[in-house]
Amino acid sequence: MLKRVGALAVVTCKEGIRDRSLFGILLFALFVLGLNVAVAGFFMRDLGKVTVDMNLAALSFAGLLLVFFIGINLMAKDIDKKTIHLVLSKPFSRGEYIYGKYLGLVLLVVCTLALLLVFSTTTVAGVNAMYPEYFGGFSWSVYFWAVAFIGVQLALLCAIVVFFSAITTSSFITLVFSVATYLVGVSIEEVLFYLKSQAAAGEVAASETLRAVLEIVAWLVPNFSAFDLKTEAAHGLALEPVRLLTSAGYGLGYVLILLWLATLIFRRREFN
Amino acid sequence: MHWRRLGINALMLLSMVPLYLILHSASWKQREEVRRSAPPGYTMPAAFSRVLAFGYQGLLSDYEFLRAITFYGDRSVKQVRMSAEDWDFFAYSLDVVTDLDPYFLDPYVLGEGLLTWDAQRFDTANALLRKGMEYRYWDWQLPYYVGFNHFYFLKDYATGSEYLMQAAQIPGSPAFLKTLAARLAYYGGKSQTALIFLQQMLAQSNSETLNQRMQKRLLALERAVQIEEALQQYRSDFGADPAALKDLVQSGYLQKLPPDPYGGEWGILRNGRVYSTSKFVDPKPDSRE
Repeated sequence: MLKRVGALAVVTCKEGIRDRSLFGILLFALFVLGLNVAVAGFFMRDLGKVTVDMNLAALSFAGLLLVFFIGINLMAKDIDKKTIHLVLSKPFSRGEYIYGKYLGLVLLVVCTLALLLVFSTTTVAGVNAMYPEYFGGFSWSVYFWAVAFIGVQLALLCAIVVFFSAITTSSFITLVFSVATYLVGVSIEEVLFYLKSQAAAGEVAASETLRAVLEIVAWLVPNFSAFDLKTEAAHGLALEPVRLLTSAGYGLGYVLILLWLATLIFRRREFN
Repeated sequence: MHWRRLGINALMLLSMVPLYLILHSASWKQREEVRRSAPPGYTMPAAFSRVLAFGYQGLLSDYEFLRAITFYGDRSVKQVRMSAEDWDFFAYSLDVVTDLDPYFLDPYVLGEGLLTWDAQRFDTANALLRKGMEYRYWDWQLPYYVGFNHFYFLKDYATGSEYLMQAAQIPGSPAFLKTLAARLAYYGGKSQTALIFLQQMLAQSNSETLNQRMQKRLLALERAVQIEEALQQYRSDFGADPAALKDLVQSGYLQKLPPDPYGGEWGILRNGRVYSTSKFVDPKPDSRE
């Protein structure tokens, strides 16, 4: 079974690499990295923070584009173009198909991130060499942890894409649902904590129901802020191992549940 | 038929292209005019922008900071005086920037550099710096700035000393901080206090525009210190202050009164501090105070 899943993952990843839009995404990321070198000089002291901000933003945004545009295409193409009949006629279970596709997407994300990380490391090291006295709190280990957690975040997003592809019939609906889930997931923590602090200050009393609804949403949607180490990386703040472990475990748990649900639904699905 | 089409194309080329060029430059000139007289604009409250940044709060803080510093630079280059409304925008922007990323050092440094000297908003500057102290607890500069503000601007030496002590206790703070509180207490509100402080700030800054401004202020302060020292000498010799600063030159304590780079007139305050009518701020085209 592992062999079949692995083979499907590699094929999916290769197919993704063949997509021309990948070059566009990589070019965009490289452009932001170049912009970083030009912009760094506009700031006074915290050049290290600005550099890390721009680098991590380039990496994570390129990853988002990759998952939303190439990833969704890879999932939906089989169904849209009916090639799924061909794949499922092979000795594959539907569960294996879901897991293989998912691992292929993750493989594609990891490859792209690794390539971009090489460029980004060069940029950070370059700006660091240009202005060594303004890189006070910077730490490479925290920086690499932040990149690794961008990877975790994107892996989670891949699972969301796979899940919505399994239950919808059109790639456009998958795109809309995944983007919406991402936007909610990335802002839910900020909104909830804001409402809590408001409630604590006794300012907005009428928002009790709203808060209850949002609490439920927070159970359903992954909290992407848990994987966001950009501030820590920007200032080289210490990371506790417990926090990294908890976040990674939380992400992994969510992915496993989502993939399990996706296989359950996908097994019962009929293609025409 | 062929000739007719050629004629139409030539006509389009000859009429449309110059028209576009004229309108293009007119539009850009108009935009420049609009921007010059534009009100300061709007900075979204942090409660919203933190959510709408969708995970890129750090990047948004960089952008908002650039916006604030460019706004100030724009007014500064065009010699347009910052109105109270402009300072409101500026101070609020720095507040939002530090809500987006409270660890970001630049807005605190910029706030200290401009909100005190230029805007005379000492409490706003101190509040901003105290917010920074909560997060950047390892950074000696922020309590150091607050301490300086208490010494030089607010004349509250007791509170100022407390903050300087706090700064001196932070690991990695320069050794001179330990004696600085004592020295500043001695000079109090005199120009020497600001001179020591500005030299320190200048030694660490990377911003060309800000450095130029600080150099000018440093020069003015050096001259004020020079006059204050001559005054001190005069006082210990004669037991009283001269009636006017010109007397210092006549009795040979100074070669000549050095001009104030900001174009003001020197004078003596009752506490013996030398001041300038310019208050070490660039003269303003309009007289709004």
